[in-house]
Amino acid sequence: MQSSFDFQYIIELMPILLKYLGVTMEMALWGFVFALILALGLALVRVFKITFIQHLVSLYISFFRGTPLLVQLFLLYYGFPQFMPIFVGMDAFTAAIIGLSLHFSAYMAESIRAAILGIDKSQMEACLSLGMTRFQAMKRVILPQASRVATPSLMNYFIDMIKSTSLAFTLGVVEIMAKAQMEASSSFKFFESFLAVAIVYWVVVIIFTRIQHLLEYKLNKAY
Amino acid sequence: MIKVTSLSKKFGDLEVLKDINFEVSQGEIIVIIGPSGTGKSTLLRCLNYLETPTSGLIHIGDVNIDASSHTAKEVTALRKQSSFVFQNYSLFANKTALQNVAESLITVWGVPKTEALAKSEAILIKVGLKDKLHIYPSQLSGGQQQRVGIARAMAAKGEVILFDEPTSALDPEWVDEVLAVMKQLAVERQTMIVVTHEMQFAKEVADTVIFMEDGYIVEQGSPQQIFENPQHQRTKAFVKRALKKGY
Repeated sequence: MQSSFDFQYIIELMPILLKYLGVTMEMALWGFVFALILALGLALVRVFKITFIQHLVSLYISFFRGTPLLVQLFLLYYGFPQFMPIFVGMDAFTAAIIGLSLHFSAYMAESIRAAILGIDKSQMEACLSLGMTRFQAMKRVILPQASRVATPSLMNYFIDMIKSTSLAFTLGVVEIMAKAQMEASSSFKFFESFLAVAIVYWVVVIIFTRIQHLLEYKLNKAY
Repeated sequence: MIKVTSLSKKFGDLEVLKDINFEVSQGEIIVIIGPSGTGKSTLLRCLNYLETPTSGLIHIGDVNIDASSHTAKEVTALRKQSSFVFQNYSLFANKTALQNVAESLITVWGVPKTEALAKSEAILIKVGLKDKLHIYPSQLSGGQQQRVGIARAMAAKGEVILFDEPTSALDPEWVDEVLAVMKQLAVERQTMIVVTHEMQFAKEVADTVIFMEDGYIVEQGSPQQIFENPQHQRTKAFVKRALKKGY
């Protein structure tokens, strides 16, 4: 069956999809914030080689990098509640944010760790020689420098995360992908619906790529 | 004020420092000389516990630390007693000259920020960097960076400043301005331990010169004694060579 391309339909669909862009962005932003906090902790455990915990962290990173995000989301949302009643009441939106955070924190931890290790050893020595503790040195000197190094790759993960929120629709979260799917099923205009949602993602990513470049420019100017 | 007793340091099987003993009194200027790779820098780094000695006692100010039983707390306490000037400056890259100098006052000594900045500004003016207060290290010349490095060490409230070949990484044109700052500190009787190849500086400024070779202190004495009337054959050979090379 061949039907003609309905451009008008895409125009009409846009405002409907955009209403759900908030859900997508909320998942991405919260997911990123939690992932960042988690990743920083994971990275510090590995940098300081904290005994015992560092092995758990390695296992964690290996698992979340070694299995697909979709599988992790299913495990978390459909699997865990069967064994841990505490997860029964968890809604799909929360599960998606948790899943995205856990998954991306594993990748981001490695970027942050590499950035920290990339800072010249002499910076830490200079801090210690003045009587600062390792923690103070991290906070005041090493992390500010490492954050500059890590920003481009962390922004890439954020952009990746925006796109990955589309998987949340498999848990039943109604975000832009789910809405496009619903509209497509009722209108049978699959091509137009999915093209429309692709355009929305694309534009959002272009905007954030632009922000990324501005941020990098600003950070590079600092010193 | 400073007393080092039976200090030794091994890297694996390599014994870099062997039974080092010396004392420094308040306001004394010690210059350590000797061939490259004889443990001069390692000794200095041990005094600050940037390297952990294998054995021996270090006493600086009111801190006593024994290599065989030291705690993290003691190490931090010891480091507060001294400050370090690095060969490659090691200024905090993310901080301006002023912030570099003020950092230890704020973080380590808990001095209120405005007071710390005012004090740091005065120190930077003293080392001739009045117009570089808000400049980042990457935009300073080597000589300026090292003067910030010295200012940072001066700001820390330690008893002694340790200089690890402060002019070795500098282009010749910047050496004099750094030595001038150090000479000024010497005039003010700031206690200093300086590892250097600048023999002229050692001659002019030192109260005591320590000659090290192969991890030992071979000889120590006044500059006059070491440079004009050395007792040991090895000191003689080194001094002769060093002065000939025109250090």
